[in-house]
Amino acid sequence: KMRAGAEEAESSGYQRVVLKNASPHQYLKSDLPPRVLEDESARVSAIDLKTFITSCLRSLFGEVGAALNVDVLKYDEETLTALLRVPSRGLVKLWSSLTLQGFYQNRVCAFRVLQVSPFLLALTGNSRDLQLD
Amino acid sequence: MSVFMDLNVLFSADRSRMQSLVETAAHLGFSTVAINYVFEPTTKKKQEVPSPVPISELIGQLPVVQGRSRPIKVLNRLTVVMSEASHFRPNATEYRAFDLLAIQPTTEKLFHTTCMLCDVDIICISVTEKLPFFFKRAPINGAIDRGVVFEVSYASALRDSTMRRYTIANAVCLMESCKGKNVIVSSAAEKALELRGPYDIVNLGALFGLSDADSKEAVSSTCRAVLLHAETRKTASGIVYTRISQQEALQDCVGSEAPAAKRPKPT
Repeated sequence: KMRAGAEEAESSGYQRVVLKNASPHQYLKSDLPPRVLEDESARVSAIDLKTFITSCLRSLFGEVGAALNVDVLKYDEETLTALLRVPSRGLVKLWSSLTLQGFYQNRVCAFRVLQVSPFLLALTGNSRDLQLD
Repeated sequence: MSVFMDLNVLFSADRSRMQSLVETAAHLGFSTVAINYVFEPTTKKKQEVPSPVPISELIGQLPVVQGRSRPIKVLNRLTVVMSEASHFRPNATEYRAFDLLAIQPTTEKLFHTTCMLCDVDIICISVTEKLPFFFKRAPINGAIDRGVVFEVSYASALRDSTMRRYTIANAVCLMESCKGKNVIVSSAAEKALELRGPYDIVNLGALFGLSDADSKEAVSSTCRAVLLHAETRKTASGIVYTRISQQEALQDCVGSEAPAAKRPKPT
């Protein structure tokens, strides 16, 4: 992590540290749930998912977009939930290409992005799934 | 923090489809949707302006918005596709049944008239074709002063790559001329699968050239401004009514004036 500057110690004796661009990666948790694909018998493996993401990026941003370093960190085949990692400067590109993708192998699909965070720990909890009872 | 709204959901007679659309919108976090009836008058034969189906007939039980405790609000909206000036009759009685009025102009002259004169809330920018005219600052600034917003819809971008290019090109053109003020982004979704979550749309706004703050406003507070504008339009001219608001207690409403309670930020 880069320390971009340290402010002077104030009279009360503490030091303020400013962190700019603290995180090199952004993490994206996304969902391609079976019910969203019109044909429910679709089986998408991790490799299929990676090729799919690269093709989405290529169709919207071309070869330069497809060259973006997207990693699939975790993939659950049953629920089709994926955890992606992308360099921070590429987040807008990746996110918009996933949003604008309407088709997967001639089937209508909708990529739903559940959580985005620069910190992987933040993706463990989701207040939307909280049961308050 | 203002709520998210999707002000363009296409009407279809299929009741189950409308039901699933509204349910998906509620699940994604939209607090309000507006069902859009598109009306395209042709000079060949006289067509009736469609009258909106009452919400209770169309959708049974309104689902609760995810993350909030209230059910989703469903409004009616009419879009008139204008190719001639006579297509839109101001103060027509059929328009009263709708909560929101929108116009989609197809020529430069009509665009100018719509921005400066017509009594509507939303001006739709067509995304399915190459823009037939260029945007000029003068009518756009006139529209912004009056409180009219411009709308870009993204569902056609999901279907076809050529449409995607047109959507992005037209949207970028618009943002350059209006500097990101008074813009809303909505889906023109026909199916539930064509809806996208509010933060996804905020990210799309970044693609169109909006700043982060403007982009979020395009889905939340500007939409709310449109609803308030529509309400002032409905109560006709010269009527004074009070609004419970911290800033002002009295609001004078003359014709189509932007409500003081929620104005787009002057920059």
